Amino acid sequence: MLQGWLKKLMGKGDSKNVAKKRLQFALIYDKLEVSDDILIKLHQDIVDVISRYFEIDKETLKLDIRKSEGKSALVVNTPILSAKRPHPA
Amino acid sequence: MAGGSLKRCSLEGKIIVITSGKGGVGKTTATASIGAALALEGKQVAVVDMDIGLRNLDVVMGLENRIVFNVVDAVKGKCKIKQAAIKDRRIENLYLIPASQSDNKDVLNPEAMVRFCKDLRKEFDFVLLDCPAGIERGFENSVAPADEAVVICTPEVSSVRDADRVIGLLYARSITPKLIVNRIVPEMVERGDMLSHEDVVEVLSIELLGLVEMDTQVVISTNTGIPLVLQKDSNAGQAFRRIAMRLNGQKSLPIEIPQTPKSFWKRVGRKIGIG
Repeated sequence: MLQGWLKKLMGKGDSKNVAKKRLQFALIYDKLEVSDDILIKLHQDIVDVISRYFEIDKETLKLDIRKSEGKSALVVNTPILSAKRPHPA
Repeated sequence: MAGGSLKRCSLEGKIIVITSGKGGVGKTTATASIGAALALEGKQVAVVDMDIGLRNLDVVMGLENRIVFNVVDAVKGKCKIKQAAIKDRRIENLYLIPASQSDNKDVLNPEAMVRFCKDLRKEFDFVLLDCPAGIERGFENSVAPADEAVVICTPEVSSVRDADRVIGLLYARSITPKLIVNRIVPEMVERGDMLSHEDVVEVLSIELLGLVEMDTQVVISTNTGIPLVLQKDSNAGQAFRRIAMRLNGQKSLPIEIPQTPKSFWKRVGRKIGIG
């Protein structure tokens, strides 16, 4: 009980970020009926591909599926930190 | 029964469905409160309980012992609108059309509801349809006649997910809904333990109509049947009044964000769980 009080007094919770992530994945899953595993893999692959050309913040890359007029669109949003210079051959 | 004649200002009333997908997020309280607030603005308002078989809007409004006819009777032409519309005891211009308790949702159909609401438009400035939980027949019946939709959700994963589904279904019917986030606990949002309204709006990408905080007055209001919007010390009641003003065309009225109490001792009290 005392621990709970102390936590309440001092601590900053973080469960809302967990909730938001779960929610975003749940909504994508609901719309496309693809599994979490596939989405996580896709997420990783996209990060890898983009990383070949750009320096990106891997943590903030967002995968989103939007539905408009009956069609689903895959939207990838990521801040680009810098472009990678091609290595001279 | 509605006493006297129903007088109206404008020509054609608006039909607004209040829906959420998930049950227990505050649709009925919102319908009763927004309806009461619109009536206080001087509009002729009917609130219709579409939850056939599980009616509750009547008890929330404190009108449960005055039911003679219901929405099923009115839709089927067994009584006139005036006979089914119960006049509120406290608020002028507010009428309740209760659900029937003995039927099920299949006794109504979308076409019949569209016809019925055409008649309601002539009598009222605003008709609020309190949609049942779920996305089945009761939802279809409530959405078919609607010009506008208000989606209610709480800042929880399950509620936002269901809201997203319902928003999709409304878009498919060419209705662009507006959102009310209900039962916000500012302390929890501040602490990072509750989705903020920004999070919810971002996930749902939908226009915001209002924010309502968790308020123990809601329980008291439901206990007594006294409208929430008449309680000056109820933050939720006041939020619903502003929502009604916005629905009534005051689009520039700013949306107030629920805040934690300003007083230091109140905050300490809330943190350690007293008060």
